[in-house]
Amino acid sequence: MSAQQYDAIVIGAGHNGLIAAAYLARAGKKVIVLERNPYIGGATSTREIFPGYRFTEFSYVVSLLRPEIIRDLELPRHGLKILPLPSTVTPMDNGDYLAAWEDHDLTRREIYRHSPRDAEATDEYSRVMARAAKAIKPILGVVPPDPSSLSWRDLARLLQLGRFGASLSEQERYRIAKLMMQSAGDLLDEWFEFDPLKGTKSASGIIGTFLGPRSPGTAYVLLHHYMGEIDGAFRAWGFAKGGTGGIAQAIANSAKALGVELRLSAPVEKVIVTGGRATGVALANGDELKAKVVMSAADPKRSFLQFLDPQHLPDDFLAAIRNFRVRGSSGKVNLALSELPQFTCLPGEGPLHRGAISFSPSIDYIERAYDDAKYGRFSERPYIDAIIPSMIDRDMAPPGHHVMSCFVQYAPYDIEGGWDDARREAFGEAVISTIERHAPNIRRAIVGKQVITPKDIEQMAGITGGNIFHGELLLHQLFFLRPAPQWADFRTPVPGYYYGASGAHPGGGIMGANGRLAALEVLKDWR
Amino acid sequence: MNDAPYSLYRLKRTPFHERVAPLCLPQNWRRWAGCITVGSYDLGIDREYWAIRDAAALIDVSPLMKYLVEGPDAARLLDRITPRNIHKMAIGQVFYTGWCDDDGKLLDDGTVTRLGERSFRLTSAEPSLRWLAMNAVGMDVTITEATDRMAALSLQGPKSRAVLNRCCEDGLDTLRFFRMAPNRLGGRSVTISRTGYTGDLGYEIWMDAADALPVWDAIMAAGADHGIVPCGILAMDMARVEAGLFMIDVDYTAANHAWIAGQKSSPYEMGLGWTVNLDKPGYFVGRRALEREHREGSAWRLVGLEVDWEGLERVYAEVGLPPQIPGTAVRGSLPVMRDRQQVGYASTSTWSPILKKYIALVHLERPHFEPGTRVEIEITVEHHRRYAPGTVVALPFYEPEWKKK
Amino acid sequence: MANPDIIVIGAGHNGLVAATYLARAGRKVLVLERREVPGGQLAGDARIGAFATRPIHAGGQLRADIVRDLGLANHGLASEASADAGAYLAPLPDGRMLRLAASTDAATLDSIRALSPRDAERWPEFVRFMNSAAAYLEAGQATPMPRLANADLLEQGRPLAALAWKLRRLGRTDMFRFMRVLTMSAVEFAEEWFESEPLRAAIGAVAIHGVSIGSMSAGGGYVLIHNWLNRGGLAHRGTRGGAQDMVNALVAALRARGGELRTSAPVAQVLVERQVVRGVRLESGEEILAGTVLSDADPRRTLLGLVGAPELPPEFVWQAQSIKMRGSVAKVHVLTDGQHGIPGGTVVIAPTTKYLERAYDAAKYGQVSEHPYLELTHSGDVVSIHYQFAPYSLRGGDWQAMRATLERRAIATVSERFAGFRDSIREVRSITPFDLEQTWALTEGDLNHGQLILDQLLFMRPIPGWSDHRTPVDGLYLCGSGVHGGGGVSGVSGRNAARRVLRVSARG
Repeated sequence: MSAQQYDAIVIGAGHNGLIAAAYLARAGKKVIVLERNPYIGGATSTREIFPGYRFTEFSYVVSLLRPEIIRDLELPRHGLKILPLPSTVTPMDNGDYLAAWEDHDLTRREIYRHSPRDAEATDEYSRVMARAAKAIKPILGVVPPDPSSLSWRDLARLLQLGRFGASLSEQERYRIAKLMMQSAGDLLDEWFEFDPLKGTKSASGIIGTFLGPRSPGTAYVLLHHYMGEIDGAFRAWGFAKGGTGGIAQAIANSAKALGVELRLSAPVEKVIVTGGRATGVALANGDELKAKVVMSAADPKRSFLQFLDPQHLPDDFLAAIRNFRVRGSSGKVNLALSELPQFTCLPGEGPLHRGAISFSPSIDYIERAYDDAKYGRFSERPYIDAIIPSMIDRDMAPPGHHVMSCFVQYAPYDIEGGWDDARREAFGEAVISTIERHAPNIRRAIVGKQVITPKDIEQMAGITGGNIFHGELLLHQLFFLRPAPQWADFRTPVPGYYYGASGAHPGGGIMGANGRLAALEVLKDWR
Repeated sequence: MNDAPYSLYRLKRTPFHERVAPLCLPQNWRRWAGCITVGSYDLGIDREYWAIRDAAALIDVSPLMKYLVEGPDAARLLDRITPRNIHKMAIGQVFYTGWCDDDGKLLDDGTVTRLGERSFRLTSAEPSLRWLAMNAVGMDVTITEATDRMAALSLQGPKSRAVLNRCCEDGLDTLRFFRMAPNRLGGRSVTISRTGYTGDLGYEIWMDAADALPVWDAIMAAGADHGIVPCGILAMDMARVEAGLFMIDVDYTAANHAWIAGQKSSPYEMGLGWTVNLDKPGYFVGRRALEREHREGSAWRLVGLEVDWEGLERVYAEVGLPPQIPGTAVRGSLPVMRDRQQVGYASTSTWSPILKKYIALVHLERPHFEPGTRVEIEITVEHHRRYAPGTVVALPFYEPEWKKK
Repeated sequence: MANPDIIVIGAGHNGLVAATYLARAGRKVLVLERREVPGGQLAGDARIGAFATRPIHAGGQLRADIVRDLGLANHGLASEASADAGAYLAPLPDGRMLRLAASTDAATLDSIRALSPRDAERWPEFVRFMNSAAAYLEAGQATPMPRLANADLLEQGRPLAALAWKLRRLGRTDMFRFMRVLTMSAVEFAEEWFESEPLRAAIGAVAIHGVSIGSMSAGGGYVLIHNWLNRGGLAHRGTRGGAQDMVNALVAALRARGGELRTSAPVAQVLVERQVVRGVRLESGEEILAGTVLSDADPRRTLLGLVGAPELPPEFVWQAQSIKMRGSVAKVHVLTDGQHGIPGGTVVIAPTTKYLERAYDAAKYGQVSEHPYLELTHSGDVVSIHYQFAPYSLRGGDWQAMRATLERRAIATVSERFAGFRDSIREVRSITPFDLEQTWALTEGDLNHGQLILDQLLFMRPIPGWSDHRTPVDGLYLCGSGVHGGGGVSGVSGRNAARRVLRVSARG
């Protein structure tokens, strides 16, 4: 078969790949997206693993998706609806619970009964964090400068950053600096006294990281999760109609409408480099596709160590990518249920079922879960963030039945002895028995179960190490160091080859900024 | 508290709920500090307003935040937090005051009542437990929140003293303005302060939440012959503007709620310069910033604006309409202009039924806040922006002679 | 001294350095020390019996410019650091010793090569980078940190800009390395450089030494450079003549410049009126007035104890309360018959990075490490053991009850590696974090006056916006380890504080 010619090839039909493709097509380019799986979405997929039950296999909630992408790609017209996920309930070991409801007064009343001091601190803390998130948010839309470069382009970026910095107040600067460096635990200890409140808040600081809430740097991750907005409201989380696969589908629909060609079951073997420039890709089946530009939306390790021969990359860069930390730490347990789980702390069907249920009774609880993981074991008593998608979108399960999505930490990629079926089963059991302590009917209700370990994430979604952010959100892996020093502007040492996924600035989550910014940089270079 | 599932999944009710709910015929409820409270007992608020100005109006003010500050350092703590000289308070005296962050910007305002040598009651609009605790570090003082276990009623209006004299064990004739005294009412222990939020003669009655209903009943019974009327917070909102009293997060943004520095207000700007005692000894929160502002002058000030009725009529007459007057106080921001340049804004405006004037609390930049200054306020007439002329006046707009007598 | 210009609270090395700089500039300086001896952590204490003269630190030396500026050589301080630092030694499981020096000497390279030829190859580059990073950190510590308000940055930002430029001058590779290493954990950093686990752990130990973080905690990279700078490499290096010489020289230099030192003169209260300092009141009731007061006590103790929260703005008080102190180092001094079998130099017991992390895990939950990270130094018969982690706040217990356990675990851990140690013991005296607080007045027993963690460094040390030695009380300055430049023995924060005071008064 003769090689086909495109303007741009995008590797990977995850949300970032699709967004990048759509933006390129929108600028009139002829674009193809190559996906190794027979379905789209990457880690943003929803699949019917058991007939009638639709699982949001990996990522399950959304708040970070940039509003400009929703507008630019007209995603609502292509089927995107983000439904509210208004509350979080934390069951406590003494049979009580802690809830954060949608309404401020209700939440205040709820926290007040546990700790009057924390009820007030919560209000103040929310305002402070919202201000910090607002202050730092423009960074999400900035291409990081290379601080070692004196090129006009980098100086201009530095200037842009300087202007942003100048716009911050003195207090905002200290606040942000401290948040960048602190542990979530230290931050929360300064504010609060009630353990379940601290535990639940600290969880945002560890999601997707191989860190515990007492590790420095986790306060930043917490802030990262604060930057989400839906309808202009900070810190609002939502559930996409049809699961997160619904987001991928809407983006794909938009991309197709813009003329993007989408090829499934087309794993890329190599990026072809000719005369020092990326000129196309070779597929596993031997096909070769040619293009002026190739963009990878796979993880950095795969993008640089697998798709390229090392000879094309400078030593510093290779070392940086090899040293890039991608240790997966989270798993998923997706359940098909014949009935709603009944929580002993709030019996009956109620608002609890329409929001998140967080198994995070204290910072120590999560920290101990982390202790397990750092020595190569999954957490005996894990942190779980559960939602019941069928209570938000009735189309997710057959009538009367439900699906439950449980995000779990920690499950280390490098488990002692390696992941196998028995360990996967044991991991699933740890999760179910943890839930069972608070919802005794859960076991009885299970009609189908899908347990996903970091190893499975690697195999299914193609993310090396199974890290849901394509690379840990560590301080030395952020901004102009992500994924490697000097190459944080979505370009790579190989001209014509670009990188635009979660492993690049501004990091993970269903944000899409990575793909969009990368596409815009490609267009800047276009001649 | 956690007996039935979702029993807490609703707003709080005040200790008077059982009495006020059946009287709230139009179901006009408002949210106040996490409680449901009566907006008005009729669909119109005229009857309640005129009870404040002509008879006696009984208002449930239980959602106010209430704190007891006790111990050897109680006075020291409040002296540190507020700009007033608390050490000079007599037992039974009530101070109205705002309080600031260390940049001298208002966080909240309320009253401090000296209950004893070492015991005070603080009321505030916003939760203040944390701020009190943060300031009490290194002091020997206990702070107890009494918001839920204490009920409060406000009895306002020229007949309020007569009503209380009829149902209280001790007469109220000797209780001076901004003083408090313990009393018995309807067989229950209460404390009564001569305070209020209407600018009329009035009292506030503080009691244990368990005593709320008998006290309510006793006052209503005693007031029957004096034309007592249960009154919601909408009528009170009108009266407080006439009295030149402002409201947090309506007329000023609490410093800790503000997104940007420009939203914050100082006591001087809000006309509370009289509460700032720079001569008192020692540190108090915001001292340095307030000293600076006192020295350098404030950038703007809260003052009153009386709209010229003839001018208002003319603006409406131009399109063939009679003046349109809203039925309640309006909490919308309206630009205030001078020579076509914006020099400030109104934060609350209302028709004053007693003054027969349209009045507004306005924030004006220096030097436009001097009384007598002629300015214009933006109004929307038949979907078009128009400017009605008015005059800057000192606050309050209305102060009857019997208020402090 | 009647009517001093300046009072310095505390005769720790930073207090003495600051006082001497100020006396040298012609100020009438009075130093008030609560203990009967000057020197702070450089001076031992009578209650540890035979070890009374032992300082808390195994080594430490003042920066060369301080020694020069204050003419300490004229007062008995060896003009150079003791030439031989001794080696940094890590016992290996097979009984051999990993022997490291911060140089490329043959013995070090041979020792590493025995573990990994690849690591031996990388060692010279590692040492070069570490020296360059340490030199850069030294420049950073000498650079005053302005507030981050636009006006302050415009007015005082020039030194910061110069520092940023200096970073670029390190060259691209080192510049990025330096920026990355600061926030890395000991494990992450060591793994990037070396493949041998004993080597990683030996380096990793220095990256958590004295600080309540684990080998997997971010910020270990910073601590490594900090300790490398203070030690001049890996092994402890003292001044010839020991810590006491340093103290004596400082006191002599102070007196030679007309400064006065009063010992056994504990300050009870810093006198403040409307946020202006007036002087101090001693525990004896005596009041000494001065327009400028420097405190070498830790920030928490100075601000919340000596000044008192009621004199300070509430947000500031909250931040002072939030300074992470968390001492978790104990010292066990052991008098032996000399037959302990421990080699000279600095011996580290840290077999793996996971071992270090596990030792730290205990501290997180308020427990004393069962298998602690130890550092041993000895001078003849006396073996001094640095024990980590021994957290100040014990969960379900107190230090009176834990002392025996601490000593037992220290001895057991050492005996596992040095068989003759146990039988050589004559007397054991330990210093717990609680002792450090009681006797040395270190809040929560934190040797560094505040943890050397990322959010308490540079312009955030001790409190964001207050790293220029000033406080909300006019005329009161902090000059101890808790401020930017501080941590360990170096005299930097004392020197910086004195400069700050002189700059302010020069401005009038």
